[in-house]
Order: sequence, then structure tokens, then C-alpha cells
Amino acid sequence: MLRRRLLDRLDLPTLFAALALASVGLMAIASATAEQPGRSGLWKTQLVWLAIASVSALVVMAIDYHIWAEFAFALHGVGIALLVAVLAFGKTVGGNKSWLDIGHIAFQPSEFVKWTTCLATAAFLAKRVTTRVRFVQAVQLVGIVGLPMMLIAKQPDMGTALTFVPIFVGALLMGGLQWRWVLGAAVVVGLFAPVGWSHLKPYQRERILLVVNPDLDPSGVGYQVRQSKIAVGSGRVTGKGLFKGTQNRLNFLPAQHTDFVLAVIAEELGFIGAAGVLALLYYLLYRGLVAARSSQDRLGTYLSLLVVCWFLGQSAINIGMVVGMMPTIGVPLPFVSYGGTALIAVMCGIALVANVRGHRFVN
Amino acid sequence: MDYRERWELKEYQSEQRLGRRAHLLHAAIIVVLAGFLGMFWYLQIVRGADYELLAENNRLRRIAMPPTRGVVFDRHDEVLASTRPALNLVLVREGLQDADGQLRRLESVLGIPYEGLKERLTAMHRRPTFEPLVIKEDVQLAEIAKVEARREWFPSVEVEETALRDYPDGTAIAHAVGYVGEVNESQLARVTDGSIQQGDIVGKSGIERQYDDVLRGRRGWKLVTVNSLGRPFGPSQPGRIPEDGAPLKLTIDKALQRTLVEALADEVGSGIFMDPNTGAVLALASTPGYDPNVFTAPVSRTTWMSLINDPRRPLNDRAISSFYAPGSTFKVLMTVAGLESGAITPSTTVDCGGSVVIYGRPFLCWKKGGHGVVDVHRALVQSCNVFYYLLGKKMGIDTITKYAKMFNIGEITGIDIPGETRGNPPSVEWKQKTRKEPWYPGDTISVSIGQGLLAVTPIQMATMISAVANGGSLVKPHLARDAAVDPVRLPVSAETLAIIHDALMDVVEEGTATKAQLGPIHVAGKTGTAQVFKKSAGIDADKLPKDEKDHAWFVGYAPAEKPEIAFAIVIEHGGHGGTTAAPVAKKVLETFFADRLPQKPSPEEKPSSQLQAHLAAHPEGSGAPPATAR
Repeated sequence: MLRRRLLDRLDLPTLFAALALASVGLMAIASATAEQPGRSGLWKTQLVWLAIASVSALVVMAIDYHIWAEFAFALHGVGIALLVAVLAFGKTVGGNKSWLDIGHIAFQPSEFVKWTTCLATAAFLAKRVTTRVRFVQAVQLVGIVGLPMMLIAKQPDMGTALTFVPIFVGALLMGGLQWRWVLGAAVVVGLFAPVGWSHLKPYQRERILLVVNPDLDPSGVGYQVRQSKIAVGSGRVTGKGLFKGTQNRLNFLPAQHTDFVLAVIAEELGFIGAAGVLALLYYLLYRGLVAARSSQDRLGTYLSLLVVCWFLGQSAINIGMVVGMMPTIGVPLPFVSYGGTALIAVMCGIALVANVRGHRFVN
Repeated sequence: MDYRERWELKEYQSEQRLGRRAHLLHAAIIVVLAGFLGMFWYLQIVRGADYELLAENNRLRRIAMPPTRGVVFDRHDEVLASTRPALNLVLVREGLQDADGQLRRLESVLGIPYEGLKERLTAMHRRPTFEPLVIKEDVQLAEIAKVEARREWFPSVEVEETALRDYPDGTAIAHAVGYVGEVNESQLARVTDGSIQQGDIVGKSGIERQYDDVLRGRRGWKLVTVNSLGRPFGPSQPGRIPEDGAPLKLTIDKALQRTLVEALADEVGSGIFMDPNTGAVLALASTPGYDPNVFTAPVSRTTWMSLINDPRRPLNDRAISSFYAPGSTFKVLMTVAGLESGAITPSTTVDCGGSVVIYGRPFLCWKKGGHGVVDVHRALVQSCNVFYYLLGKKMGIDTITKYAKMFNIGEITGIDIPGETRGNPPSVEWKQKTRKEPWYPGDTISVSIGQGLLAVTPIQMATMISAVANGGSLVKPHLARDAAVDPVRLPVSAETLAIIHDALMDVVEEGTATKAQLGPIHVAGKTGTAQVFKKSAGIDADKLPKDEKDHAWFVGYAPAEKPEIAFAIVIEHGGHGGTTAAPVAKKVLETFFADRLPQKPSPEEKPSSQLQAHLAAHPEGSGAPPATAR
């Protein structure tokens, strides 16, 4: 009896789609690191991470999302405390102080905080009596999302900080911010863009300008984008075959197992592979929308929609970078890129969606 | 299920709004993903063939193009530092196959240790692959031929053109111009705008470091296409043209500089010659020196360690960073202070009996029997200690501090090369701050003859004597022609300076510095001996052979009537300034005045009134500002 209830509640299609994406990622990571000394076993590490992530996802699913929401702010507080801890005694990798060393495992709190941010924001929105976002609420939302974002920007991990923007925008729109405010905010942002531009570091400006004009490359950032586009384009329809991508194997591609993993897939599996990844992503996001629609209360709806916003935003930033439509920012592709904490975070995110879906029957 | 009741069910109104927004989100998802699908379609199907060609044939290789560093010229536009072409042997890391085999064969062909190369190759694994590993810098053609003859053994080894900094005068110019080297971590950390990158060559000391931004230029790069075998083919694509560094013109006179280094010979010490009217440094040397050319190619550890561990510290620029007690040369400043503060007049006399008891203890004059009755002129010429003990006692330390500060003694002069030190100014405040001790009256007496707590750098003394020479203006010493700053007029009367000036001429004429005489050109100067009370910082005195001798000083200027050159010289453990430092000055001055000196210098009569000559040398509006009568 209990087992049947559980099976009913497990949102299997969604979970399978997530695992399918992760499997594609495992293959791509194996291919990307095959030629790299000392990294050729990374796909096994990622497999272990996937197992850990799956168990974490089951834990998230096993507990009714209402209970998670009860503890949302406590969890979010823990996450923010961890971010402060990272700034205080984190480990610096590649110029970013983003990792905490726990024994032998490097843990990236910023990934975990994405998850708690969705939870806390959804809980906050659901608790309200109003159906519109009032000014005070908007300010509170800025606090919930902006505080961790600021701490992450200090690491300075601009890429991860940027992934909080879609969550914030999603919270405002789903929370029912009236359109006139949305328009007003857009106008204000438009007006202040030049000011923000002047605050950017030269290399950041360069990256943005490169999207507009890839030939303009004073410091070589364009080299990466260019190599990524060559990798993608040369894959053509069917790709060069797994483990046969020249761009990938000859190390022309930068960060080919993390940020540019989709370029490896596009090179070795071609347009079919790339379209497949996009299709799986679409299916996952669609399942999120379905869960939102079938949920019986605001909390479930908000929770699902926010996870969808998070995934959509992060995927768009990553894919945009791979095809040269976005500036080069280090953001992993959900489920696909190498990275333990990131994988756990997105698996727990999709687990929340499955959780909402599984509890759609009020009893 | 009570916890659920706290989360209300959806209401009709919010359901509607939320529903609309959810649909909107769905639309956004479709638009974004379809857009990306379109982009993949465009890249892989529309442009796929082009990109395939690029990937197939074009292995783009990025080659950094370092800028040419700016040339450094002396005052007569002779080259002090330039750049010469050289060849490096590099290992290309893109598409590297059989790295081990190639490195091992390199060891057998060229004798470059395999272990070291292997280590460096491993260390580079975090760097972009288009950066090659430099196997050996500045290789000779014979070595290249050895590699080329066995091309099939070395598919990834290539010859790269490079440029090396070249100092034609090597050791003679080392401390002024400095040397260059690969940027280190701490320097990289200070640059945030990306203008310096790993592997860039930057100035490490001297002018090279001070004006690095001017000289360095900006690196560029080009893309070279190579086929799948790693051979370059077709034209290279320009990436960014490197911007060469700007040239830099110095005030240094190469010939004078060479003479100074030769004159210092094997002594440990330093000398500065400058234009007393402008502060333009004509020669600046510190011995022992080093050859800056050894740093242009990567310094071998042994060379570096031998320079670092040499007890005589050749890398140290003694002219600006070593400080010594000024000894009797400080009496020049004491005289200014005494006359200007009114503690003495030109007619004040003291009877020197060889020693004097002050504060209940005897202070000795260097002359055992004493000098007898001396006035200011004689006291300075004869360097009578007793006169200055009493003068110091009368003035007190605060007055001495005031005038020392005025003439930049114990202060940074601001010369435009890095590493200048301050020394120890003669002041109560300084002693309190650094030694946490009060100032004792006896301290003042020691300082009065330039000993005790006082320590100055040669560049400070050169600046002080320049101020005396030019009629009372403080100049800022500088090496770059563009760094000249207007002198600052000091409140010192012409009468005071004339008295000092007359005495300093007599010092060379008949006093302690006769070895600096230059025939028709009159030299004015003051010798000094610094009691070795402590070694400069950073060296263990115990490791040095015990040297009993004091440090020798000689400061001065010439021609005495209308000074064109002023100098300060220190010979460590040189004994008396007149015997060791004065001849060094003479040799350099001979070079400077070569066209005005007869082949064989003959002694000449002294001008009748040096005072008039000196005043005539500084009329209004010529060089130095007019003297203000008090």
C-alpha cells in the first residue's frame, strides 16, 4: 500500500529526463577529459556525485514540500552563513574564492544557496495575503535574493551571482508585480545601464562587446568563443562521433568539461546531439510548469515556477556563451557540466518540482 | 496534516493572474530554446561546412608578440639600454605528442636536463595551451642546427624570435638604469587592468623599474594557422599590433659614468655627480656593481645566489640606499646653521687646545696639540672639532634639526629611482620614535661633528652641497630629463654661503683635500670620515672581515666660481676622505673639464677675492635665484 503511494508520488518522467541529461553529461565529460593528463577519471568522480545527488533528491522528495517551506528561512540562513564562511576561509580556485574544504571534498555553497533561495522566495510569496507585489515586498525580495548574490559577487564569482537575476525577476513576475512597474523598472534599468557599464572592469566590458563584434579581441577572450563556435559548427548534423572531436581532444576548447561541455556534445554528436539536449531541457522545464499548474496551493505553484526560472536562466547563460550570443561567463549547464555541488543543487531543485507534482492530491 | 493548513489553497483571483504569468513563462521558455535551436541550426547546418574546414585545416595557434622595450639614452643620446633580437627554442604544447620522448632527446642532443624541463612542462598545465614552453633562451645558431638536423625527432620543437634587453655598458651603468626580468607574482597582483600578464618582462630596479610604464609598451599577438602536423602555413592573422615602449632620455653622461666606475675601481662605495643648478644627475655609481645583462636571459640560480649572497651586496645601490655618519662633511651644514641662527658671527673665535670638557666629559679634537685660536673660516678649513662641539652646544639640537631638514639631511630627496632610504635625521623626535630613548645633551655634541646618531645617504649630501654651490637653492636630483623640478629657494643669506664657499676652496687649496686639485679649474669641497658605528641594514657584520678603517667622504663642487658640477663620494672603510675619496673626484672632474684643462695641469694662483667671484657667479636671473640679503 505504502509502496504504491510512493510510486504514485514519484514523478518518474521528470526524474528520468534529469537522469538522461546527466548521462549525456557523463559521456561528454569522459570524452572531454580523456586526453587530459590527470583528469581522465573525472567522469567516474561525476558518477559518484550523481549517486550522491540522486540520494539527496530522494531525501528532498520524501519530505512534504510544505515542511521544507516551514524551514525555508532557516535553511536560507544556513546557506548565507556558509557564504560568509567561504569569504572568510574558503579555498581559492582560478581566482574565485568559492569553495569550502570539508575533509577531502570541495563544496561550493553558492550552488546550495540557489536552491534555498528558490525555497525561501516561494515560501515568502505564498505566505502573503495579497496577490500583487507591493513595494515593501519587493524590497524584502531584494533582501532574500540580493544578499546571497552580493556575497557571491564578492568571491568574485560574477557568473554564479548572475544566475540569481532570473530567480529574482521570476519571483517578481510570478508574485504578481503589475506590468506598469515591470515597464517602469525596465526603463530605469535602461537609463542606468550606462552607469553600470562605467562600473564594469575593462575585461568585463570587453567580453560584452565581443558578443556584438567577435573580431574585436584585445585580450584574447574572443579566442575561447571562437574555438567554441568552431567546435559547435564543425559538428554539423551528426557530429564527429564520441571521443573524436578534434577541437575537444586537441584542447582548443577552453573548460571543455565544465562551462563548454555543450560545445563538446555539439562537436561530437552534431546538431542531433545539441537538439537532443535542448529537447530534454525543454521537457524538464515543461514538467515544472505542469507541476505548477496541478499544484493545489500557491506554495507548490511558486516553488515549481521559481525552479523553472532558475534552470531556464542558468541554461540560457551557459548555452548563449557556447554559441557566442552571450559574454563569456563561467556558469555550468544544469545536469550536464562537471561539478559536484552544482549537480546536487539542480537535482534537489528538480526534486522539489517532483515533490510538488507528487503531492497534487489533497487528502 | 495540520502543517498544510498554514499554506492556503489557491484563490480564484491569484489563480488567474498566476496562470497568465505561468503561460508567459512557458512562452519565454519556448522562445529562448527555439532561439538556441536556431543558432545551432545556423552554426552546424548553414555554416557547418565552413567551420568544419576551420577545424580540419586550421589549428589556430596564438602567438604572443611582446612589445619592444623603449630605448634608454644618456644626455648625449648615447644608448644605455636597448633591445637586441635573439632566438628561443620552444616546445609547442598544442597537439603535443610524445612529450617525454622529445624532452629526453633534447637532453641527449643539447644537454638540457630532462628533469627540469619535465617539471616546467607539468607546471604549465594550467596555462593556455597556445603558450609554448621555453626550452632555452638566447640559443646560438649551432644549437638550432643540431635540432634542425634531426627534425623528425622534434615535431613540437620550434624556434621563436624574441628580443632581449641589452646593456652595452653593462656594469658601468647597472645601478642607475637597473635591470629587467619576468614579472613576479607580487608585481602581477598589483596590476589590475591587465596591462601586465604572466611572462611579461618588466623593470626590476633603477630607471627600468621607475619608468616601467613608459618603457614597457603593450603586448600584442597574432594568430598563426598550422596544419594537423603543426607546420605553420598561410598568412598569419593580425591580432593586435604590439605597442612599443617609448624612449627615455636620461641626464646621465655615459663617459662620466664610466670614469666614475673606473675611478672607484675595487673600492666598495658610491659616488654621485650632478648639476648643482638643476639636480640633473650626471653620474651615479655604486660598487661593487653587477652586470645587468645576466638578468635578461633567465637567471641561473647560481648566478642569482652568488649576487644575493655576496657579502658586499652588489645589487644594493649604495648611492641612495646606504647611510653613513657624514663625519666632517656635516660641518658645512653646521656652519650654515651657526651663522644663520646667529649663534656665531664670521668673527667669532674659539681657542682649540686639542680637547674640550662639555657636560663633565672631555671631547677630543682630531689634532692632538689643538688648532689654537680659530675663526669660522679656519675651523671649517682645518675641520676643528672643538669649534663645532661648542657651536653645537650653543645652538642645541632643535636648531640643528631645523637646518638639517631645510637641506634635506635625513630626508628622502625624491630621486627618480626606487629604493631610496631616509637615513637617520639628527632629531629628538626621531630618536624617541625609533629608539624609544630621550635625547641626551651628549648626543648633540656627537652630531655636531657628524658622528653619533646621525646617518645620511650619499644622494642627500650631494643635494646639500649642491644647495651650497648654487647659492642656496634645494634641487631635486633626477635621472630622467623630463623629471626636472624647479629648485626651491632656501632662506640662507649670500654672506653665509660666501664664507663657506671660501673655506671649501681652501680645503682643496691647502687643507685636507689637496688631492682633488685640478689646475686652472678651482674645486671646492669638504672631506669627512665616518666612524663605523654600525653597518647598514640587512647585513651581518660578524660575517665581514673585521675592518678597522672608517668610511671616507668627499663632497664638493667645481668650478668654485660658477659651479657646473657637484658631487658626493663615499668609500667604505676608505680611511681618510682626502686620501681615497678625493682622487676619485679628481678623475671624474678631469673627464668633465677635459676640454678646459691643459694636457699637464699646472698649479695656478688663487683669485684674489673668491667672495667677489662667487657673488659674480650668481647674478640675478642666471641659474640660481638671487641671494636675499638679510
